[in-house]
Amino acid sequence: MKKTLKSRLVAGTALASLLALSACGSDTSASADATADASEPTTVTVEHTQGTTEVPVNPETVYTFDLGALDTLDALDIEVDGVPAANFPESLSKYGSDDYAKIGSMKEPDFEAISAGAPDLIIMSGRTADSYEEFSKIAPTINLSTDAQDPWNSFVSNTEIIGEIFGKEAEVEDKLAALDTKVDETKAAAADAGNGLIIMTSGGEMTAYGEGSRFGLIHDVLGVATAADIKSEAQHGESVSFEYIAEINPDNLFVIDRDVAVGNAGEVASAVLDNELVMGTKAAKNDRITMLDSSSWYLVGYGLNNVDAMVSAVQDGIS
Amino acid sequence: MTAVLSPTAPAPAGAAGVSGVSGRRRFLGPGAKLLLGGTSVLVLAVVSMFVGVSDVSLPGLLSGDEHAWDIFWISRVPRTLSIILAGMALSVAGLIMQLMARNKFVEPSTVGTVESASLGILVVTVFLPGASLFLKMSTATVFAMAGTALFLLVLRRIPLRNTLIVPLVGIMLGGVIAAVTTFFAYRFDLLQTLNSWMVGDFSGVLRGRYELLWIVGALTLIGYLAADRFTVAGMGQEFTTNLGLNYNRVMTLGLIIVSLISAVVVVSVGSVPFLGLIVPNLVSLMIGDNVRRAIPWVAIFGAGFVLACDIIGRTIRYPYEIPVGVIVSAIGSALFLYLLLRKRSARA
Repeated sequence: MKKTLKSRLVAGTALASLLALSACGSDTSASADATADASEPTTVTVEHTQGTTEVPVNPETVYTFDLGALDTLDALDIEVDGVPAANFPESLSKYGSDDYAKIGSMKEPDFEAISAGAPDLIIMSGRTADSYEEFSKIAPTINLSTDAQDPWNSFVSNTEIIGEIFGKEAEVEDKLAALDTKVDETKAAAADAGNGLIIMTSGGEMTAYGEGSRFGLIHDVLGVATAADIKSEAQHGESVSFEYIAEINPDNLFVIDRDVAVGNAGEVASAVLDNELVMGTKAAKNDRITMLDSSSWYLVGYGLNNVDAMVSAVQDGIS
Repeated sequence: MTAVLSPTAPAPAGAAGVSGVSGRRRFLGPGAKLLLGGTSVLVLAVVSMFVGVSDVSLPGLLSGDEHAWDIFWISRVPRTLSIILAGMALSVAGLIMQLMARNKFVEPSTVGTVESASLGILVVTVFLPGASLFLKMSTATVFAMAGTALFLLVLRRIPLRNTLIVPLVGIMLGGVIAAVTTFFAYRFDLLQTLNSWMVGDFSGVLRGRYELLWIVGALTLIGYLAADRFTVAGMGQEFTTNLGLNYNRVMTLGLIIVSLISAVVVVSVGSVPFLGLIVPNLVSLMIGDNVRRAIPWVAIFGAGFVLACDIIGRTIRYPYEIPVGVIVSAIGSALFLYLLLRKRSARA
């Protein structure tokens, strides 16, 4: 009895919001017709990692599971309605409030909440890749993952897709051009900065990352030479000992602290690394150990504002 | 029930084998055999000290290479020592646990002790992120004791102490505690941190970071000295009281030793599963159920087993490492299955 009532309620809400949406939709298209020429398309065809999707132009209700995409949307002043419940970094902290629908965790979607909210577009990435089919039944869904093998181009094309959907092509173009300049500057600085090693600490243990990894931006895009040839295709780098760091003896050490989620920013990782072996490396002696912001690198990744922040962090670190 | 596993079992089919074992036992005196075992561990320890990313070789050390000596003292010796201490202590803790629960298929990581210890660390990490190592360890110990006591309490209420029911109850209880821990870790975004505690790993061990493990060395010694008491306490409360021992005191001592060992090891290197289960069982297969005589063997076997596993973990993906917990689990689960199946065929 209870169940039927609830499902009826859900159906009712869904129907109501659908009606409201279709009303909105016809409204916007009507005004668009009035202001722009009639030939302007109402949908965009987006090719993405998991297929091709027909996406409405300027969708009303937007849900995103990818914090990188959220960052890009935020940078372009596009309104987002639903986000996962996550540990948002400072720059995106407003999305933690109740004003934004919570549509599950970063890895596990709450399908009931999503379908009740009746979004017009769902943006997701690798973390929720398994749910693509389910999402597609609810709303047009696009997977904007970043390709670890070619991060920069896939970031650029993902950003352009968002620009196209929301009619912000010119703004995207400008911002990407500015980023390009910044990347070139950093590359020039990296050429004289010597090699670098990327380490993530967690619970007192360390993993090392190289080219083509989730933190590969440093090597692949910004051109910091690799101190060690780490070829790990896995998302999680290679488990290493302090002796390994001492032996590699990098000019620059980039550190990501996975434990930072608890709050103690930087302190934990620096305590882990504060030992005779690490302190003996060239990076330590020349004060070239860079503590990277873990939520920026680990959670958000490739977003329009965040890439800018990540590039700045590396630039500061090597200069 | 436990007798089935021991070579002195009155199984008719095993009779010939038993006499064979005891015949061989007389070939070398127990003292000489123990010495042999100790020497093998020593050899493994030396190997362990010369396996690593940096170039540390015996000629290098002898010629006074300063860098090699630095690495030797900062990294190699502490790592080898911590492996030996943790391996010995976890195996002996498993044996004590088995005596206390009167069952051969329990050990701290299958009855909720280790799970409770990690719940303790999680609680400290969430509420007092900057807590000192000592505070973390104390909280983990208190939680581990509570979890183990709960298990022993539940065990007392079970009327039929079937060999398989006891570990099953332990695994279920451990599962419930682990579920609670996982839930909170999930809520506080600490799942992966929790994971790194649950997989034992010696790669972070350096001078100044393992000294806590000397505590478990001392506890192992206490366990050895009190071994006979645990054997008696394992026979039950009435039996123990009849022999003039304070049952509750003995059980509390065992509880403290097992919990403290588990907590210290989890805090300093992470959990190393199955160790406390396999080693005592293999030893009892070899030399029988005399606990006092078995403990040195359990310690030697435990240390040797973990040393071997860590050397494997350090070499197969050189210069990277595979955590020792993964290697021990892989080999350990295979041995565990062997022990279980062997037992069934012996009964049939």
